[in-house]
Amino acid sequence: MPRLNLYQEEFYPSPIQNTWKEFKENHAALMSLYCVIFFIFVMIFGPLLAPFDPLQQHIDFLLVPPAWDNNGDISHLFGTDGLGRDMLSRIIYGCRMTFGISLVLVIISMLIGVSLGAMAGMSKGLRSSVVNHLLDSIMAIPTLLIAIIIIAIVGTGLVNSMWAISLALIPQFIHQTRDIVRQKMKKEYVLAAQLDGAGKVHIFFNSILPNMAEMLVVQVTLALSVAILDISALGFLNLGAQAPSPELGALLSEGLASAYVAPWNIAMPGAAIFLMMMSINLVGDGLRSALRYRLLR
Amino acid sequence: MLKIMLRHISLLTLTLLILSFFSFSLAYLFPGDPLVNLTGIRNSSEQGYALLAQQYAMQDSFISQYWQYVNHLFAGNWGLSFSSGLPLAEEISRSLAASVELSAYALIFSFVIGLPLGFLAGLRHHKFIDFSLLSASVIGYSIPVFWLALIAILIFSIQLGWFPLSGRISLLYDIPYQTGFILVDILLSDVPDKEFAFQDALQHLVLPSVSIAIVTCTIILRITRRSVIEVMNSEYIQAAYARGLSPRQVVLRHGVKNALIPILPLLVMQFTTLLTNAMIVETIFSWPGIGNGLIQAIYQRDFPAIRAGMLAVSALVLTFTITIDMVIQIFDPARRRPEHATS
Repeated sequence: MPRLNLYQEEFYPSPIQNTWKEFKENHAALMSLYCVIFFIFVMIFGPLLAPFDPLQQHIDFLLVPPAWDNNGDISHLFGTDGLGRDMLSRIIYGCRMTFGISLVLVIISMLIGVSLGAMAGMSKGLRSSVVNHLLDSIMAIPTLLIAIIIIAIVGTGLVNSMWAISLALIPQFIHQTRDIVRQKMKKEYVLAAQLDGAGKVHIFFNSILPNMAEMLVVQVTLALSVAILDISALGFLNLGAQAPSPELGALLSEGLASAYVAPWNIAMPGAAIFLMMMSINLVGDGLRSALRYRLLR
Repeated sequence: MLKIMLRHISLLTLTLLILSFFSFSLAYLFPGDPLVNLTGIRNSSEQGYALLAQQYAMQDSFISQYWQYVNHLFAGNWGLSFSSGLPLAEEISRSLAASVELSAYALIFSFVIGLPLGFLAGLRHHKFIDFSLLSASVIGYSIPVFWLALIAILIFSIQLGWFPLSGRISLLYDIPYQTGFILVDILLSDVPDKEFAFQDALQHLVLPSVSIAIVTCTIILRITRRSVIEVMNSEYIQAAYARGLSPRQVVLRHGVKNALIPILPLLVMQFTTLLTNAMIVETIFSWPGIGNGLIQAIYQRDFPAIRAGMLAVSALVLTFTITIDMVIQIFDPARRRPEHATS
């Protein structure tokens, strides 16, 4: 680093700065970070960006192809569906819905999962053993299956599918947190805090939580992509968001009706889900490898 | 070893008990009469209802009702489906076989493609081929499987007409049910034009299994790549090079084995992801599997079928993962976890 040679002061980057420096090197991850920021922007300012109301039906413009097609119309950039609803506005609202809901669900399940996991990780004895073993087995069941079962009990609908997905996401957070807390409880700085007379709550918030924040962020990106996939899958299967609502999976299943004449109606929402998933996965990957390599250079 | 087996068997029994208890309580959680939800027999006469109530011990305590339910489960009496009126045990075993068949072919397919590519990427770490495979894998595991299946249908069966759109086999062939696996059934049966039927069934299999396999394949590629990189950086590989072994010898004698051991359990665990994807893809291709059945059951509010289907799928998944975990811990002492209670 030239800075060290130029000035006689020492510069030690903090762990977060180290991670960021490593992350910046990975162009794909950086691009996808911008992409995620773009989606967050769309999520917040969606209603201002969308040219039309997502449910408004333009009767003169049924099944208009996207603007780059010869028969396309520039006023409907991504074309329209069988009822003349503007695809671009529907996708903007769909991103807002799918991404926003997934974000909220992941945050809720993270809060619940981390607190339960911390309790499981700090307790000992038979009870914790039983809980842990059961948890391991529940982890083996795919989240979508759990969500389908819960929906089978409470009935279909967007709110029900939200409950189902957040319940299904919680075990992974419990598992992860429990493992980390277990590891950290053996560290000497925890022992030092214990010797100073710190209680369990104090140890968790002051000694363990700062050390597991990074892992938690990685886990959140993983959970986010799972949540997006699940919520759109449930919407696609007509178990989650119901037909007129512009959820991306529901858009896809509505596009099925006219898939042969209007393939853009399934291509566009799917591409939006794909882009969302890919950017989140890439950010997660980049973050993980940045955390892995940040001390090597 | 006995201890490991004992622990896993007790874990399996406990989880299965909890599952069966949960599926029993579903009968109460679902709307409607619990007895009707358990048996699937609607509009029965008063006498018939009383007889059923006695069989299921409905007037006794919750626990003895549960006990009766478990007895019925083991006797193969899973109740009747609301929509078809057929016994569920038979229906579910048929559709489960169809799902397992689809997932098994997809799993084999993704192993055959994913493992070698993973090794290739891992051995050429941070080279062009590694980056291109890695980017391809990111695309692969970010694609929502239902979108992929739809696009495959649009391109390969509607535009090009290479593969059939949906179903398991053309209606021209009437294959008697024996094992539930369509390819095996065809080989066992004595229908005329056996090879045409086999070809037809294969054509029906291609699109669904490939669209499931693409997602699994990329996950397998990534896990393999990571493991190979870690192994190739380890000291015994350096030592092998130092002893003058050629790169080919090092990889074949030391690399492959050591890279495969830690990833096999991870790979096998992909079976559950695979099953989820299979369940979604089934509904798109109208494959008569358990996922399709379960989702149709939800649409039709067929509560006995949901209860039994959910029990069957989760029991299958849990039995599979716990058994694999046990086998791995028996054969690979390095992976034995410290017992939870002692730590």
